[in-house]
Amino acid sequence: MPDRTTPTILIVDDEEMVLMALRSFLELETAYRVVTSLSPVDALDTVRDERVDVIVADFMMPAMDGIEFLRQARDIRPHATRILLTGYADMRNAIRAINEAGLYHYLEKPWDNDRLKLVVRNGVERSSLVNELDSRITALESANVELLEIRSRLIKAFL
Amino acid sequence: MSGAAPPDSVAELVNAAKMATLGSLVAGVAHELNTPLGALNSNHDVLKRALERLQGILADEVVEPHELDEVRRIVSAVDGVMRVNDLAVERMVTLVASLRRFGRPDLADIDHVDVRESIDAALVIVKHELRGGIVVERDYDDVAPVECYAQEIGQVFMNLLVNAIRAIDAEGRITVRVKHADECVRIEVEDTGCGIAAEHLGRIFEPGFTTRGGRIGMGMGLPISRQVVDRHGGRISVTSEPGRGSTFTVDLPYTLQTGGNAQ
Repeated sequence: MPDRTTPTILIVDDEEMVLMALRSFLELETAYRVVTSLSPVDALDTVRDERVDVIVADFMMPAMDGIEFLRQARDIRPHATRILLTGYADMRNAIRAINEAGLYHYLEKPWDNDRLKLVVRNGVERSSLVNELDSRITALESANVELLEIRSRLIKAFL
Repeated sequence: MSGAAPPDSVAELVNAAKMATLGSLVAGVAHELNTPLGALNSNHDVLKRALERLQGILADEVVEPHELDEVRRIVSAVDGVMRVNDLAVERMVTLVASLRRFGRPDLADIDHVDVRESIDAALVIVKHELRGGIVVERDYDDVAPVECYAQEIGQVFMNLLVNAIRAIDAEGRITVRVKHADECVRIEVEDTGCGIAAEHLGRIFEPGFTTRGGRIGMGMGLPISRQVVDRHGGRISVTSEPGRGSTFTVDLPYTLQTGGNAQ
């Protein structure tokens, strides 16, 4: 049973069979919590409401393409690692995805499971490191504020 | 039916149009196959991994209680895989059957055709062209089979659907209706696309007339469709409003009309 610290992988694809195949593989081969969504619009609610470490999105989906979805997901949860899984591997979309959605990786369909596992695992590590870095920076900033206050009090006390 | 081409000429035109249509749709068809193929490819790998794990657990002859959880996890994964495989195989079988129906030379002869099946086969082939933004609604009455040249009528439906899809820029709706009308079955293909300007409406069935920049194969779909429908003693017509969409209506007699150009 996954606990709150278990990394969560969100997969978004309008093809049920793709979601089920990816879920079956990741649940067999990893200990990650896997959440799936057929709709990018609904998936944005998941990104907003739940801890998500890695997001894997299809490119061509009704209502919103994968790049636009990942761009909006980045605004909501910037530290989640974003991966595009697509049958449309062309340079124009790859560049668009990198520039607009801050893409971490680009996987082609049909995907290779070993490659997918490696990319997802690296994505989880990246997300974890970025989160840790973020909390360290926050701690440093807080310590810095504290130091400034102490300095200010010291100056007032001795001058 | 004046001006209809001789039957052999129609058959040749239909064959050329069919090849052109398939050529323009082949990338989409490949993508439609790629989705179930990708799932099957992944699942095949998952089944191999699951089997290896089960063999590893069973190698000791005695299954420890803690290993039962692992077995349950494997069984759950295999169960998911099998359900996906059913869906994927069904999708591929349907697509291949539709392609075969569209391309089979033995259907060049006169046959009794359920036009709903013929339209559905064309819809499977053009599915990818809908690009996720075009919704197709089907409103079919229960109609009797039509005596016709199956391949040619299939090409007419394909032409009308491709035409409707190309009329829609990004998002829209295509409504396909099949109903009984006197001695005919009536097929309507309505789109919410760009429509046809009034000055073009009278010319769209003329060979070579196109408003799409003279690409290869363009401008022949509707003239061929008219020739085929004429050959069957039927009628094809269009109503359109620029900016709102078009409706193409085909009336096909249930029995091939000997007064037409049927062989």
